[in-house]
Parts: sequence; structure tokens; C-alpha cells
Amino acid sequence: MSYEQDRHSNHISQSFNEELEQIRTELLTMGGLVERQLSDAVDALVAGDTEQAEQARKSDQAINDMEMMIDEQCTLIIARRQPAAADLRLIISVSKATSDLERIGDETSRICRYAIELANDGKNVRGYQEVRHIGNLVRDMLQNCLTAFARSDAEMAYKVAKQDKEVDSEYRTAMRSLMTYMMEDPRYITSIMNVMWILRGLERIGDHARNMAEHLIYLVSGTDVRHSSLKDIKRTVREVEQKK
Amino acid sequence: MTMEAKTHSIDISALQRQNQSLRLEDETIALTVRDLELYYGEKRALHGINMDIPQNRVTAFIGPSGCGKSTLLRCFNRMNDLVDSCRIEGQMSLYGNNIYQRGVDVADLRRRVGMVFQKPNPFPKSIYENVAYGLRIQGINKKRIIDETVEWALKSAALWDEVKDRLHESALGMSGGQQQRLVIARTIAVKPEVLLLDEPASALDPISTLKIEELINELKNDFTIVIVTHNMQQAARVSDYTAFMYMGDLIEFGVTDHLFTNPAKKQTEDYITGRYG
Repeated sequence: MSYEQDRHSNHISQSFNEELEQIRTELLTMGGLVERQLSDAVDALVAGDTEQAEQARKSDQAINDMEMMIDEQCTLIIARRQPAAADLRLIISVSKATSDLERIGDETSRICRYAIELANDGKNVRGYQEVRHIGNLVRDMLQNCLTAFARSDAEMAYKVAKQDKEVDSEYRTAMRSLMTYMMEDPRYITSIMNVMWILRGLERIGDHARNMAEHLIYLVSGTDVRHSSLKDIKRTVREVEQKK
Repeated sequence: MTMEAKTHSIDISALQRQNQSLRLEDETIALTVRDLELYYGEKRALHGINMDIPQNRVTAFIGPSGCGKSTLLRCFNRMNDLVDSCRIEGQMSLYGNNIYQRGVDVADLRRRVGMVFQKPNPFPKSIYENVAYGLRIQGINKKRIIDETVEWALKSAALWDEVKDRLHESALGMSGGQQQRLVIARTIAVKPEVLLLDEPASALDPISTLKIEELINELKNDFTIVIVTHNMQQAARVSDYTAFMYMGDLIEFGVTDHLFTNPAKKQTEDYITGRYG
């Protein structure tokens, strides 16, 4: 049975509809928070703005709270409604997506910490170009991922999975050039190491966004596409499109 | 920048408040049970029950067969008076008035505390007359008032759209689910304060069951509802508070959300997870 966006608003029980709609809305709200935090973190790093970085780091608390709140609601819905089929998949995928979002929040806070450290060092470090580039890619992924959840759009989720490949290869390239900088001037090793950790964080965020996209494909198609190749994901998404 | 960051932040505490579950301490209490003991002849069927049933909420009684949940439910409108060997000690009050006091008008009590049984029992009359019945025996004869009340009751019972064109046909021609909703309409037509439901959906198919459950959810805005059900999942779906009873004891009584996710007593956990009972 394929999944349409408003499937879960057709129950006889109006309150069940509301509960399902609510966890999805809250997931998107949480996503908005994380998206904002990531944006601020990358901007703060490039601009050397410690205050903005600190602000972004602090929003992690709110993100953690939301994760717990959404999970609690998922537990309650399972206990009270015994959801089946698409409803059950919605709850499972929302619950999993929140933990990925929370991890993105953690990675972003860590980026903020490095950003503050780098800004306090005051040295003009190389590698910001790469951070900005990969940062933008990852930001875009996260945004697409949330849009995919908002519209139950498997095609969009597939795009996110594809973008992750791109992020991975950009990450490898950036690593190589940073390594060259370190060899050129060993005095910068410490700060370049920090930049590397930041890139590593961004790359991890890309992985989490891809995970979320996979949860969404599971929600829409019922097929678990974790640990599958892009080709397999593409096939699954095509099947969903054909069923529509 | 700080300003901008603030406008983008979200008031999490407001979201949490919105999701906060119920608390019995904050409720207005409709029915109070204190040290209630009930005997059928020599046999003690209820052992010192204490509980408060909150107004405008759905309270469910669950427990294995013979645990006393129906017996307790029937105490609320003195249906047990009809059983000869039945004897009651302790107190039970509706908004502070002891319903077992001498001189209580039982007919009036049963008007204030209505009851719906497991099997739909419409009278062999028309749909309209079924709902109007309670009003007529109360001495209300004005056609306009009866018409209005019948329409209101049928609408409240989510039945109006299905029967409005055949109000004067026999109620016995309706489906089981419709009959049960008709009985609920008949019960609420006299505007009771409390609605007692004894397994209201156990004779119905799953979709009719869901309709009844949705109806219960609607009705709690106007009435205090107490429901006995064998179906634990039904209790989880419809109720705000749940009482778990076992062998005549009230084992646990609390907010449904808590009881079904993290019960305080092991016996409750074993029952709701299907380990005994």
C-alpha cells in the first residue's frame, strides 16, 4: 500500500489524526531549529563571530528537549493506539528521524565550540573556503530532507541520498588539501586540525541527513533502504512513483 | 544577530505544556468512592474500594472476568439494588451527596447517572420514540421540546445523518452498531450527568467499535463517562484515567498514559502486557 501525504488524517478517530499530525509537525519544528543552528554555526565560523557561535551552541538544549518530547509522544501513541501499517511506519520513522536530528544538533554544537576556539586564536586559517562549501551542501541536504518529510516526497529523499555522495567526495578532496597546508606550514597544524574536525562534523551531518531520507523512503514505500546502494534506492523510489 | 536568533527560536516550554498529561489533583471530582465493600450473600465481591472519578473525563475499568469491575460500575446508579443478596458498606457519592443514603430517589439517581449495556437494547418502537421515551416518562409532552431533544441526542450520538429520513421506522431494523448508538442517544436525551457504559462495543464489529469510541471522545465534553471494557486496547484508546481491578481489589488507578506506558504495580504490568488474567 503506497503512502499519500494526508493518509493519516482519515481515521475515524479524530484525536488519532491529530496525534499523528502533531508528531510530524513537531518533527518539522525540531528540524527547523536544527537547520537554523547549523546555518548559524557555519556563518559564525566563517565570520569569526563568537557570540553567534555561542548562541547556536546553546540552542542544542532546546533540540534535546524536543527529541525527548517527540519520543515520549511516539511511545504514547504506540501504547494507546496500536498503530498499524502506514501509521506505524510514520511513528517509527519520526522517532528515528528525531534521533538523527538530535545527533546533527550535537555535531553542530561541537562545530560551534571549534568555531569559538578558532576565533579566539585569531589566526587567519586556511580551509574556510572548504567549510563554507561543504557547509552549504549539507545545509541544502538538511533542508531537502525536511521538505521531503513535509511533503512525503520520496523523490526528494532520493536526491538527499545522492547529495550525500557528493558531500563525501568533497570531504575527501578538502581533507587532501588541508593535509597539504599542514605540510607547508607546520605552525598551523593545530588550527587546521580544528578545521578538519569541523569538516568531519559536517560530513557526519550529511550522513545523518541521508539516514533521515532513508527513514522517509521507508515511511512512504514500506521498504527499508538502509545500507542499500543508490541504485536500489532509486528503484524503490521509482516504484513508489509508479504506484501513485 | 541576537535579536534575529531570538525570533527564530521556538518556545519549547509552551509545546511541553500543551503536551502535559492530566493530573487527578487538578480535576473536579464527580463521583467519590470510599471504603466500598460489596457482598453477594456471604461472598465479598469488592474489597474496600477507594477512588475519585473526575468530571468530564473518560474513566475506564479494566481487569479479568470476575474482578468486580461491572459490579462496581453498577453501584454508581444502584443497579445492584435489584440483586436480593447484595449488601453494600462504605460510601459512594455523586458531587458530595451519598447515593446510598436513606430517602434517595433511585429513579432520579438513574436519570442523573445513565447506563448503557453490552447488548444494544432498543425498545420495539420507532427510532424517534426510543429517544423520546425518557422525556415522556419525565412528563415532558411539548412536541417542540421533544423534537429538539431527539435531534440533539441523535446528533450527539453521531447517528442523525444516518436516520433522519426514517425516524419513524422501527429501531429494530437498525444494525447493531446503530442500535448501540441509538441506546446512547436515548440515555443522553434525559441529560444525565454521568454516563456508565458496560462493555458498550463488545458486540460490535471493529468499525462500529471505532465509531462508538469516537463518540465517547465527543461525549466527554458534556458528560462524565465511566466505561467497563474487556478490551484493554479500547481502554487505552478512549480513556483519560484507567482503573485496574483484580479479584475485587482496585490494584491501580491513574492517568491512562502512565498506566499503559509505565504502570506502578507489577500486577498491572503483567495484565496489560498479557502475562496473566
